Amino acid sequence: MKDLASKLLRMDRRVIFILIALATLIPLLRPIGFPIRISPEVKQVYDYIESLPPGSVFLLSLDFDPASKPELYPMAVALLNHAFKRNLRVVGMTLWVTGTGMAEKVVSGIASEHGKRRGVDYTFLGYSPGGTNVIINMGQDLAAAFPTDHYGERTADLPVMQGVTSLRQVNYVVSLAAGTPGVESWYLYGKEKYGFELGGGVTAVIAPGLYPFLDTGQINGLIGGLRGAAEYETLIGMKGKAVAGMDAQSATHFIIIGLILLCNLFYFLTPRMRIRSFTGTQDGPGSPQEARR
Amino acid sequence: MTLFLRRTFPLILTFLFGVAAALQYYIPHPVSEAALTEVSVWLRIILGFAMILGIASLSHVHYAKIRMRTAGWGYSLVVYLSMAATVVVGVWSRGQEEGTGFGWIYTYALLALQGTMFAILGFFVASAAFRAFRARSKEAAVLLLAAILMMFGRVPLGEYLIPATGPMAGWLLNVVNTAARRGILIGISLGGIAMSVKIIFGIERSYLGGRD
Repeated sequence: MKDLASKLLRMDRRVIFILIALATLIPLLRPIGFPIRISPEVKQVYDYIESLPPGSVFLLSLDFDPASKPELYPMAVALLNHAFKRNLRVVGMTLWVTGTGMAEKVVSGIASEHGKRRGVDYTFLGYSPGGTNVIINMGQDLAAAFPTDHYGERTADLPVMQGVTSLRQVNYVVSLAAGTPGVESWYLYGKEKYGFELGGGVTAVIAPGLYPFLDTGQINGLIGGLRGAAEYETLIGMKGKAVAGMDAQSATHFIIIGLILLCNLFYFLTPRMRIRSFTGTQDGPGSPQEARR
Repeated sequence: MTLFLRRTFPLILTFLFGVAAALQYYIPHPVSEAALTEVSVWLRIILGFAMILGIASLSHVHYAKIRMRTAGWGYSLVVYLSMAATVVVGVWSRGQEEGTGFGWIYTYALLALQGTMFAILGFFVASAAFRAFRARSKEAAVLLLAAILMMFGRVPLGEYLIPATGPMAGWLLNVVNTAARRGILIGISLGGIAMSVKIIFGIERSYLGGRD
């Protein structure tokens, strides 16, 4: 038994890779569709958009690059669908230069699905260099930060921007962020000074770091990771890629939990290895043997 | 004169702008607001130059690697070629992505490569969890239990099998995690304030290049 445990503990990592690949692929091909519980922090974003009267200005800052597309893109799709359904004036932008093309596609794509006219019902401002300083600049004078939108039209002349000269006239800002600049930047340099309401949508890795801001009301809601996106899709009744991905995420989580439990079981069954791992002389984490496996 | 430009003048500028920026926040007078508007544009221009500095630094590092033929110098060549190709195609396409070569590079190279890099993380996390997540001590056991509870309670299958795990994971995030994070945030903020004061008053000068 101890020998078997010792052998399994030295399992080739490619076996684990195959298990993860199967746990991702099979549920995507044959989804089960477990019910998704709505968390209060996601509901708060939904409720705030629901409470906005038609014609309110909704600014969606897509602060992420293609690396975070699987988690944040479905959030953008769900939020834009909700905003256009509510007939809000939608202003899209990004603080990440590598996200510009992707952000433009999702804003204009969802807008055309709802029959919205560019410049009248929505616009995409694009990217402006400066990181967090762009937020200060927008707070002081929006047309100075973005003299033209992504399509070259003068921002000040756009019907959708009528009455909006700075961030003070924006009713709700949601930053979908994969890092900095992101939600924290929008709070520190934007909401704190210019007084708009702020919500956040972030990758699952970042979400725990934003709970203190949620608790104090510095952000009014938080959509965290693919799970948060799936909850939002459920709330608006448009199940998309996030809901589809939740079964795959369930399966991979259970594979990882299983692996951790097995690892600990084998670890306690093999006392000799436990000593070696402590000293790090043989095959502890970081050793050459470990790296080869 | 050199010493004045290299040390004294930057210290004066840092002091003036540091004090003015801090005071501006508490003085919402139109003059103060106009000054902030102006300075926020300057900041973005300065950051534009920082980008040039970054490109120059990147080019220098990789040029040195190619010249010295150090291990992996071929990758440095790839950096040069891909950067040059993207800039040339981007300028040729006038920065537009729709139906241009620039858009093609974005969709079929950058998007695919970044997506792939992020996707393989899942495989490494699983492998690392199997090898390293062991209850070697009481603290490690607590961490292990919290991780399992979070992974269980944050997916629909976990909540379907044991409904109590969802609210438990939520409690961990909202209470335990928030308390720890808030402590860290307060510590970082106090440290940031202390460092800012030291920089504004010229006590901390390492940003000048360490040739004090």
